[in-house]
Parts: sequence; C-alpha cells; structure tokens
Amino acid sequence: MFMAGYTFGVIMVVIVFGLVFFGLAQRVLDRLYLNDKVALLLLVAMIAGSFINIPLSAGRVVSSINVGGAVIPLGLALYVLYRAGTAREIGRALLVAAVTAAVLYGIGLYTRGVGEPWDVNVLGLLDPLFYYPLVAGIVAYLVGRSRRAAFVGAILGVLVLDLADIVYYLNSGLRGTVSFGGAGIIDTTFLAAVVAVLLAEIIGEARERLQGGPKEAGHARSLLAGLRSPLAKPLPDKTEDNGGESEGE
Amino acid sequence: MNRTKRWYILLTGLTVLVFSLALLSYIQDRWQIPASSVLKVFNLSWDEHTSGEYTILVDEQGQVLDMMARRVYLNDEFIAADNWRYRVIRIEGNRAICHKLKLEQVSFSEAELTALADTEIPVQGRGNQTIGLYYTHDGESYVPTEGTENIPGKGGILRVGSVFAEKLRNLGLNIIDDKTSHAPHDDAAYRRSRRTAISLIKQGAAAIFDVHRDGVPDPDFYRQVINNQKVTKVRLVVGRQNQNMNSNLDYAKRIKAVADQRYPGLIQGIFIGSGSFNQDLSPRSMLLEVGTHTNSREEAERGVKLFADIVPPVLGSVSRPAAAQTASSSADWTSVLLIILAFAIGAGAYLFISAGSWDKALARLKQFSSIEWVNLMGWSRTGKQKFLGLLVRQSKRSQPGPLKTERSRDKERNGNAGNK
Repeated sequence: MFMAGYTFGVIMVVIVFGLVFFGLAQRVLDRLYLNDKVALLLLVAMIAGSFINIPLSAGRVVSSINVGGAVIPLGLALYVLYRAGTAREIGRALLVAAVTAAVLYGIGLYTRGVGEPWDVNVLGLLDPLFYYPLVAGIVAYLVGRSRRAAFVGAILGVLVLDLADIVYYLNSGLRGTVSFGGAGIIDTTFLAAVVAVLLAEIIGEARERLQGGPKEAGHARSLLAGLRSPLAKPLPDKTEDNGGESEGE
Repeated sequence: MNRTKRWYILLTGLTVLVFSLALLSYIQDRWQIPASSVLKVFNLSWDEHTSGEYTILVDEQGQVLDMMARRVYLNDEFIAADNWRYRVIRIEGNRAICHKLKLEQVSFSEAELTALADTEIPVQGRGNQTIGLYYTHDGESYVPTEGTENIPGKGGILRVGSVFAEKLRNLGLNIIDDKTSHAPHDDAAYRRSRRTAISLIKQGAAAIFDVHRDGVPDPDFYRQVINNQKVTKVRLVVGRQNQNMNSNLDYAKRIKAVADQRYPGLIQGIFIGSGSFNQDLSPRSMLLEVGTHTNSREEAERGVKLFADIVPPVLGSVSRPAAAQTASSSADWTSVLLIILAFAIGAGAYLFISAGSWDKALARLKQFSSIEWVNLMGWSRTGKQKFLGLLVRQSKRSQPGPLKTERSRDKERNGNAGNK
C-alpha cells in the first residue's frame, strides 16, 4: 500500500529521512522534563496517533484534530507549561506563542492575494515549512530564552493559526477544512516545534560559547553545582525545577 | 508556586492568548482590512512583484528563455523544453539572467523510451496503482472562461483537475481527486495542503500531483497546437528545499522524456526553484502548472488530458522491479547520501559549538555512544542485561570492569534524567 511502486532507493530515502527526523525529535522531547524512555514512548504514540483523526465539526467548515499531530503535542505543551517553575516562565512561554502566532499570521496577511509566498521579498528564500519553525525558534529565543518556551511557542503558535483559519472560513462564507495537526507527526505543528527547540539550543549554546561559558550570576547555588559537574548533581527536586531557564547542561 | 495557582495562571494565559488572536483575526476578516494598510505602517512595502507581474528568464545574450509568474531566485535552475539546463546567476528587476549549464540526459535509454512510448497502456492490471490529486491554490481560475483569475474555494483549476482525474481513471488508474479547499491564497496554503497531501499518501497514493496554473499574462506563451487541437502546455515544478529533490527531479525528467516522445511541445520545461511544495512528503510528488490565467479553461482541460496519457507509462516503469536497476535510482541514492551528509555536518557543527573544541566534541561523542544506548535499552542493576526486552545473564567475572562503570554511569544519568 504505502510504498507501492517505489524502488529500493526511494524507500531508503524515506527510511533514512525518517531515522534522522525521529532521532532529532527524540532528542527534542528529551529536553522537556521527560526521560529518554518516555520521550521514545511518546514518539511512538505520535507516529501511531498520526493515523487517527478526531472529527470536530462537519458541514461547510469541516474540522478535525489529529492525535499524533496535535493532541499529543498540545498535551505536551500544556504539560511543559504546567511543570514550569514560575509564573514568569509560564508568561514568557505564552508570550512566545502569542508573538509567534502574530508574526506568522502577519506574514499570512502580507502574502494574501500577492500570489505565492515565493513572490514576496525574503520569504521566497525559504519554504513556509522552514520559516515557521525559524520564526518560532527565534521568537522563543528572544522572548522566552529557553528551549521549552520554544516548544510551547511553536506548538501553540501554529495551532492558533489553524484556529484563525476556522474564523476566516466562518466569516468569509467559504467552504473549508481545518485539520489541526492533520499531517500527523510531520505536520508543520510538530515539525516547527522540533526545529524551534533545536534552533534555540544551537543559538543558546553558540551564545554561551561566545561569552565564554554559561552565565552564572543570578542562579541558585544548587543549579550552578549541577552545571559545573552534571554527574555529581543530586536527584532533582521537582518543585524546585528552574524550568529550563538555565541553558547549559 | 502551588498547584491551583499554577493552573489558574496557565488557563487564564491560554484563554487570553486564544481569544485575543481569534478576535484579531475576526476583526481583520470582518472589516476586510487590507494587509497593506497595516503593514505599510511598519514600512514593509509590497514587493513590486504583485500578481499579474512575472519574471522573464533570459540567457547571457539577453534572449528570452522562459517566463513565469513566480519570483525567481539566485541558483534556481530550469530545464528548458529543449533539455538544456540553466542556472539563474543574476537578477535585474524582473529579469533573471541565466547561465547555460549542460544538455540534460533523460534517464531512459533510447530503446526503453521507445518501448514505453509505443506501448499501449494495458487497462487491466493498472487498477491497483493509486494516484492522488490535490489543489493547494484552489482559487486559481482562467480569465477568458471564468471572468476572473481567482475564485477562492471554487477556482477553474478544480474543473481542470476533474478532467485530469477522469482521463486517468479511463486509463485504468485508481484516482483520489481531493478537492479540499486551502483558501485563502497566502503563504499558509501549503501548510493546509500538506495535510491533504499526507492524507492522499495514507490512502495509498503512489504518486501525488498538486495542480496549479501559471500567471504569465501572454496566453500564447503557454499555447500549443498538438494533434490539430489548441492546448496549453504543462510546466513541471520541483522544489529544491527538500530531501526528495533529486528523486523528484529524476521523476520530472522521466515525465518529460515520455511526453517529448509522445506529444512533443506539451511540456513547458522543468523549473527547479526555492520552496518545498510538500515534495518532502513523497519522492513521487509533482507540482503542475497547467497553462496560465489568460488561457481558456477548455485549452487547459485539453492540455491536461494529453498530459494524463503520459502518467501511466512513467509510473508503470517506476513500479516494474527492473526499474530498480535503472539509472533512476542513482538519484535516489544521492538523496540518501545528502540526508546523511547534512545530518553529519549538522551534528558535527552542533557538537563543536556546544563542546568548544574538537577534543571535547570527540569526548562527548564517545560519552554519548557509551551511555545513550545503554540507557535506552535499559541496563538493570542486578547483573542482568536487558537488550530489546530479552534478559541476558551477565557473567560478572568475565567483564567486571566496564560493566560496573556503565551501570554506575547509567544510574547517575537516570538520577539526572528529569533535570536536563
């Protein structure tokens, strides 16, 4: 069925790409208060969930939500927010989501009717598939300063865009289909989150390297001890988690 | 922070976020505030390349090679109707100056090509080959027939697609013609159509076509007379920003090879441009531009009907076991290598940035390979080794040293797992 008619080389392209993508995705989930095994389990759940669409509405505006592409990522984003240590961190993550959604929505407005996104300055250099996570990652880094904020920002940001589509169809009187996370684990929603986290990580690491090591001022002594020698770090006290604000390991 | 307070903040924040953005989008849609008036405030002026304008591709002597409504970027390439491959080396206004690269060789051998093109497509036995059609820009229309170039959700392109689907069905293929709307025509159209494309693949489509039309004002540019009927030409577009680019380009060349044999002049050329066009989803995913908005829809329908004739031989050859031996798969292997290379370079760069030096990076890599997999597979602490769910009793005497180190590292790592 799925691979009907494909040559071995083509199947290999798909498999190798899958391995790289899922490998990176697993590393990303690994950053979100989850351990390796839970991250792997969630990844499997998302792959399986990609085949399940839950219908939300029928009629002129058809809408549905995909389990692997939206339900689990949304749940994860909420979990990350819930586990966040401080109100400030929750606020920052939500701000990242709002700014991400607003910027992407703005780009949508800007390109509306102009033609293709490729017809617009600068945007044309990259497929929306790539500048979505880029926007989420950069906003997350500038506003949220953390990988977790990047994750939450990308997931919620893209889901809010889908919500805006529903509003658009309801207002315009057009028929339309909105499928939250409809492409499953390779939907823009999760893809944006994966790339955004990796981007935030790379920016964070690079900046830290440039300034000659992680910034230590203003962090709790227990966190700094962990930073200097990760293996000697005591068992984490969940309630004291700093929520990923410290960028270094 | 206590639990209730945390939930309270979270829910309030989320509600405010969702409502404010929904309100914003409602207001914008309700009062039809043009994006320009909002964005011009920030001096984000429109690019001069608005709809109706187009790019002219010329060679270094200034001779016109091609025209298209899409914006063209440096390093975009195209294979002209005569199989010469060009690369955009300079952009001056709406003219893209191209450098002649080489004469492309199509993937088929002459004998194979002749055999393919001459063979009548057997109706029986092709029914299990499924093809998916979808329309990212479902508003695209043909002005002479529909009176306008864009009808959101109901464009003439959908009718052209129906004709394409019908013809393919008559040729014995199994067609899923998905007319899901992806309006409005903005940058998010591909985010929406991505879901349609993946749903087609999930339903077993071995190949998917995203049907569009171009926006070049001159109708004659896309016009062609084939078998005494006026038809529009069809352009193939391959996105170069995805891992399947080589495979899809090879696929496009196969389509062109068969088309050139059967209906010379039908293919306007292959454009290899910025973007991904959902082609990362399948190595048999193609974007078609059937004519331009100034052609009549009937011309486009006749053009796409001829194009449909090409599809079964191309896909038939792909599905034959012998196809794995043909030159086509070398493009696929190049894709595999490129993905691995990109991954290795990316991972290496990341390691270097995060570690600070190659020595430290290497040490990290070593640590990663020794700890990571062990942790994943789950070493137990009772002297038993669990590997993929199988319990293997470890002889402590035979290898006491390393096992102990691994176990203790693992233990410490598990302890830290939640606080990375």
